Amino acid sequence: MEYLIQQLLNALAFGAEYALIALGLAVVFSIMGLVNFAHGEVIAGAAYAVLLFAGLGFGAPLLVIGLAIAAAIIMSVALERVAFRPVRNAPVTTGLLTAFGVSIVLQNLFQLLVSPRPQAFPALNGLNVTWHLGPWAISSLQVMELAAALLAMLALSAFLGRSLLGIAMRAASRDFSTVRLMGIKANRVVAAAFVISGALAGIACVFILARRGGVTPDMGFSLVLKAFVACVIGGFGSLFGAAAGGMLLGFIEVGLLVLLPQEMGGLKDALTYVIVTMILIYRPEGLFGTRRDLGDKEF
Amino acid sequence: MKQDLDTAPAGAVAAPLPWWGRALAGGALAALPVIVIGLIVLMVAPGWVQNLTAMALINLMIVVGLQIYSGNSGIVHLGHSAFVGLGAYGMAILTTPLVMKKLSIPNAPFGLAGVELHWLPGAALALLVVGVIAWISARVIARLSGIAATIVSLAFLMVIHSVFLHWPALFKGNQGFFGIPKLIGLPELLLAACAVILIARLFRESPGGLQLRASAQDQKAADAIGIDSRALRRHAWILSALVCGLAGILFAVFSGTISPRLFFFQQVMLTLAMLILGGMASVSGAVAGAVILSLVLELIRNIESGVTIGGVTTPALLGLSGVALGMVIVLCMALRPQGLLGHREADDFLEKWRVSRTPGRNDRRDENATR
Repeated sequence: MEYLIQQLLNALAFGAEYALIALGLAVVFSIMGLVNFAHGEVIAGAAYAVLLFAGLGFGAPLLVIGLAIAAAIIMSVALERVAFRPVRNAPVTTGLLTAFGVSIVLQNLFQLLVSPRPQAFPALNGLNVTWHLGPWAISSLQVMELAAALLAMLALSAFLGRSLLGIAMRAASRDFSTVRLMGIKANRVVAAAFVISGALAGIACVFILARRGGVTPDMGFSLVLKAFVACVIGGFGSLFGAAAGGMLLGFIEVGLLVLLPQEMGGLKDALTYVIVTMILIYRPEGLFGTRRDLGDKEF
Repeated sequence: MKQDLDTAPAGAVAAPLPWWGRALAGGALAALPVIVIGLIVLMVAPGWVQNLTAMALINLMIVVGLQIYSGNSGIVHLGHSAFVGLGAYGMAILTTPLVMKKLSIPNAPFGLAGVELHWLPGAALALLVVGVIAWISARVIARLSGIAATIVSLAFLMVIHSVFLHWPALFKGNQGFFGIPKLIGLPELLLAACAVILIARLFRESPGGLQLRASAQDQKAADAIGIDSRALRRHAWILSALVCGLAGILFAVFSGTISPRLFFFQQVMLTLAMLILGGMASVSGAVAGAVILSLVLELIRNIESGVTIGGVTTPALLGLSGVALGMVIVLCMALRPQGLLGHREADDFLEKWRVSRTPGRNDRRDENATR
């Protein structure tokens, strides 16, 4: 029983992390059809930024959290300006390849400017303590991760449901040109999407830093690939689908960790992808996707 | 319908060739610069240049293999290196001498530790394995829409890479797999590269290839005239995998040592940048991109490892070539998304040049080619 609850919490925490990243991808995709491979480098960039600030003496945990989120937002918006604006109205493939290229450039820049080797970052290790609640030992990080992810999702849905900009964003994901005819500035909507995506990347970055205690140039890439897979299972472009897909991925991973014998643990990622692909055979448009969300114009 | 497709594009050409004639002639034209460069290197260049040229030829084959799927279907494929790796490891496991195997993989499953095949059946069997895995993965990929297919192709790369790493009994894990008999050199690779260029061109000009390109441009219109684009995407995926697998096999018997790292992101982004630079939609573009980037990258690698100018040595700049590759992709997408050659093949340029010299004729093919 204890073990089961422990693993359940594990799965929820993993899932929350994937959901955060997947949401950041889906917000951008649903509005401008950009498959943002550079999202992982936004996470890594924020991590390097706080590493730099910690080196300058700003290493208090709360400050680090704020800095990470701010750095991720700035970086995300800057990338939109520099790299993604020129290809905004181009076919999806062009945007995808641009983002892939940006991701490669940034990963190698981190290597070039900092180091290809992992950099230790212990400032957030204090977040990861074990709480004893009655008979259960619970990792504080997991609880916080879950709470933060839930809060972020609630805030996001409140923003998208209530505020004018949020409503404009949702409308833009259906029909951008009509939204512009209503007098909403396209640049504002797109910038808002990148701000939200950056903020989600920043939150994810904090938790990744707290868990791993280190920074590597490619720290974001494999996570983002998993988040993409989460988006694909959930239905590409659907926000709810992205969050649900992330959670599902968390459960599949923890399930495999529990079920697989120790010596096959390395194959966890491979098997996760295989299972996900099986789901796609039966529902190619994802669990919560419609044909329209896929960016197809045939509906 | 087959008749129409055969004759329509050839209508503007003075002496109409059947599609395969056009493909072979055009392919030969695209392969010509490769042959010339290859022969010059073979005759005059020192050994290390020959080795570099051989690696460039292997990359060229992978780029052309990638073009077969991505160029014709319009779907970005990021998992082709998995097939290169499968080909290479298949060849390594099947043909490495038993003495070497005792050292490297003594506990291989399925009795593979006691297998030592001649290179020909070994290569055939390795290609068969690649083909079977491609066939299975094609069933999944062909069902998905563009972006989802791209992401799943990347996930496929991760799966294969992860299996290479975490099944040490068969693949030797993170360490290099050594002792593969070195059988070929530059001449054989040159021959294989030409063959691969011709195969890609044949597929592109074949009725199936034309239908697939049509469905990439307008899915609805293609559906309406009864094109089975899913089946065609499957065929292109499998053919592309076989070509990449062949490149892997040749790499294994050329270098004698392989490791999982070689068939991962580094290779994916290198070959992808080559294809994008030259132009995804044409085989000549793939060849041009591979040749140009191979030359440029060699230059950058020299800078990367530090150059000495007037007694001052610049520091080693690890990651510079990666930045350059990424920039090639980003700049291409912003400035010339169709690549240097666009949709044109080398013979289209020749044709255009010829037509421009005979006044009073419009080239219909060209108008079709530029979207």
